[in-house]
Amino acid sequence: MKKYLEIIWLILASLTLFAYLLGYLKIISTFFVAILLFTTFVKGSLVIEHFMGLYNVNLKYRIIPTLWLSAIIVLISVAYYLPI
Amino acid sequence: MTLKEKYPPGDFAIWIIIYVELITFGLLFLGYAFSRRADVALFNESQLLLSQTSGFINTLILITSSYFVVKAVQSITSMSEKSAEEANSKASKWLLYAIGCGIAFIFIKITEFYHIFGAGINLSTNKFFMFYIMLTAFHFMHVMLGSFILYVIYKKTKTEGYTFGDYRGIETGASYWHMVDLLWIVLFPLVYIIR
Repeated sequence: MKKYLEIIWLILASLTLFAYLLGYLKIISTFFVAILLFTTFVKGSLVIEHFMGLYNVNLKYRIIPTLWLSAIIVLISVAYYLPI
Repeated sequence: MTLKEKYPPGDFAIWIIIYVELITFGLLFLGYAFSRRADVALFNESQLLLSQTSGFINTLILITSSYFVVKAVQSITSMSEKSAEEANSKASKWLLYAIGCGIAFIFIKITEFYHIFGAGINLSTNKFFMFYIMLTAFHFMHVMLGSFILYVIYKKTKTEGYTFGDYRGIETGASYWHMVDLLWIVLFPLVYIIR
């Protein structure tokens, strides 16, 4: 697809605007934090795969940043949702 | 089926640096997230002093600059033996936009630091601001280094330094810049939005 980079930029910008609006409108709840963390994972994956160009690279190198991102998002979720 | 590249783009050494940076920032992110559990009220109250708008604008700036850098890399890697001049010229234009974004990020961040430090906040104020200053100042230094790297690459494109089959340098610098973007993508919601 010729304009795929522009589409990826548009998705990244839209998800960033979504995150900002959640904060700006002060509608952050435990439900929206889960959505926000998921969209952060999506944004990070798009950067890793398409901007860093790892989608076309041997799995052993491609998987490292993706595993890092997954681990960070999961552990942030644990820190947020685990009862105090 | 497309044949996969054996190694990631750019010099392999930059990937070692990228992996180390990701681990370092990852530990700071988790330090923030788990420290927050000890005093949620303090973290939520302190977070109100941050400008979510400048965090949002800086996120847009970084993802846009990453897009410009990908376009620059594409211009160079897709060149033929006869189109080196045109490819370098196109890449220099995209890189100039990306450097402009880097400078805009630095300017906004300095303004934010000016307000924070001007309010008498420092590393010892509380745990939230300790993490906020450590994370954002450390990231800020990476943006400055990344902008300098982009400038060096830009200078090389101006002298048509990238030729057919010789573009490892631009891929190396681009990978570093995308890492800076990736780190901010996690930092922005974690520190500025989640409460």
